[in-house]
Amino acid sequence: MIRRPVLPAVLIVAALLVPAWPHGAAAQDAQAFIRHLGNEAIEVLGPGVPQEQRLARFRALFHADFDVPEIARFVLGRYWRIATPQERQEFMHLFQEYIVRAYSARLGQYSGEPFRVAGARQDGDETVVSSQIVEQGGQAVAIDWYVTETAAGYKITDVYVGGVSMAVTERDEFASVIQRSGGIAGLIAQLRQKLAAG
Amino acid sequence: MQSCRLSLLVPAFLAAILATAGCTAPAAGGGPQPQLLDQSNSDPYESANRAVFGFNNAFYHHVMFPVARAYRTALPPPIRQSLHDFLRNLNGPDIFANDLLQGQPTLAVTTFGRLVINTTFGFGGLVDVASLTGIPYHPNDFGITLATWGVYSGPYLIVPVLGPANPRQLVGQVADSFADPGDYIASQHQYLWVAVVRNVVAGVDTLSRNVDSLEDIEKTSLDYYATIRSLYWQRLAAEIRHETSSLPNPAPVSGGD
Repeated sequence: MIRRPVLPAVLIVAALLVPAWPHGAAAQDAQAFIRHLGNEAIEVLGPGVPQEQRLARFRALFHADFDVPEIARFVLGRYWRIATPQERQEFMHLFQEYIVRAYSARLGQYSGEPFRVAGARQDGDETVVSSQIVEQGGQAVAIDWYVTETAAGYKITDVYVGGVSMAVTERDEFASVIQRSGGIAGLIAQLRQKLAAG
Repeated sequence: MQSCRLSLLVPAFLAAILATAGCTAPAAGGGPQPQLLDQSNSDPYESANRAVFGFNNAFYHHVMFPVARAYRTALPPPIRQSLHDFLRNLNGPDIFANDLLQGQPTLAVTTFGRLVINTTFGFGGLVDVASLTGIPYHPNDFGITLATWGVYSGPYLIVPVLGPANPRQLVGQVADSFADPGDYIASQHQYLWVAVVRNVVAGVDTLSRNVDSLEDIEKTSLDYYATIRSLYWQRLAAEIRHETSSLPNPAPVSGGD
C-alpha cells in the first residue's frame, strides 16, 4: 500500500532536480573544487587550531588554490601598468603574505559552521560557485567564489562574502594608500612595515 | 509632539525627494541601476571624515566596544539571539512597506510571511521560526527605496558616533523612524523612551555581533578608514541589489539592523 507511490515520487523528485543542476562539466568540477576546499578549510582553520599553525595552513591553501598573480594585478588596478618589474615582483610577494595574515583571522570566524555548496553560474569565462555557511540561529552567510580554469587546474580569483568582494576591498584600500603615501613605493614600504610588525 | 514634527517634515521631505529624483535620468529599459549612480570611492570630505572617524574609533574603543562586550558577557547566547530576532521582527512592517515601494512583490510576500509566522509561532518574534524553516530575512529601508527610485547617494559621510553614512541613507532613516508603527505608537502614547531604548539595544546588538570583526580589520589592514569605506559602499550596493539575504553587517552604520 505504502510501497507503490515511492517510485513515481522518486522520479518526480529527480525530474525536479535535473533542471536545477548546473550545466556543463566545468561548473560541476568547479563546484566539486569549492566543496573540497570549503570542507578542507573548515577542518584546517578550525577554532581549536593555534594561530601559528592556522597561518601556515592558510598560507599553503592560498598558494595552492588562489590565482595570486591575477589577484595582485587586479588589486593594483591602474597602478599595475606604471609599476616597474621589480615593484610588481616585490608587491606580489608582500601582498600574498598580507592577505594571508588579514584573512586567516577574518575567515577563521566562520570555521566550525556547516559549509554547503548551493550551485554555480557562468560569469564571462569564470565560474561563480555559490556557497552558504549557516550560523547558529539559522542565518545563512552567502559566500560566492570566482573560479577560473588555468593550466595548473582551478584557481580562485575572488571571494564575495555577503556581496562584499575581497579583491575590490583590497584594491580600494591600496589605491588609498598609494594616493596618500605618494606612489607604489609608499605602498610597498607600508606593506613591509606592517608585515615586520607582525 | 512627534506628530507635529511629522506633519512639518513630510511635505518638505517629499518635495526634496521629488526634486532630487527629477534630476536623475532613469536608465532606458530594464529600470534604473542605482549602484551605477553612486561614486563608490569619491569622498570629497575625506579629511573631515577621517577626523570624525578617528574620534569615533576612540569612542568605540573606550565606550561602545566595552558596552558591546559587557552585553555579550551578561546575556547568554540564546537570550541574545531571541532579543536579536525580536528586534528584527519589529522591523518587519517597515521592511514590508519598503519591499512594496520598490515593486518587489516576492520580497514583500516573504517579509509578510516572516512577520506572521514569527509573531505567532515565534512567540511575538522571540524565535525566528521563519529563518529556521527556510524563509530568510532580508534588510530593507527607505534609503534603499530612494536608491531604487534613482536618487543619488550624495557624498560619503562619517557621522559622529553613528559612523559611515550618506545623505540618502540618513534621509531614509528619518523617514523609516516616522513610518515605523512601533515607534509611532510609542511616541503617541508618551512612551518615546521605549522607541529610544529599542534603537539603543538594536545598536548594541549589532555592535556585539561585529566588534571582533571590526577590531580584526583594524588590526590587519593598512588603511582602516579606506577599508571601512570600501566595505560600506559594497555592502550598500549589495543591499540595493537585494543580494545580501541574511548577513552580518560589516560596519556599524547605526542601530537599523
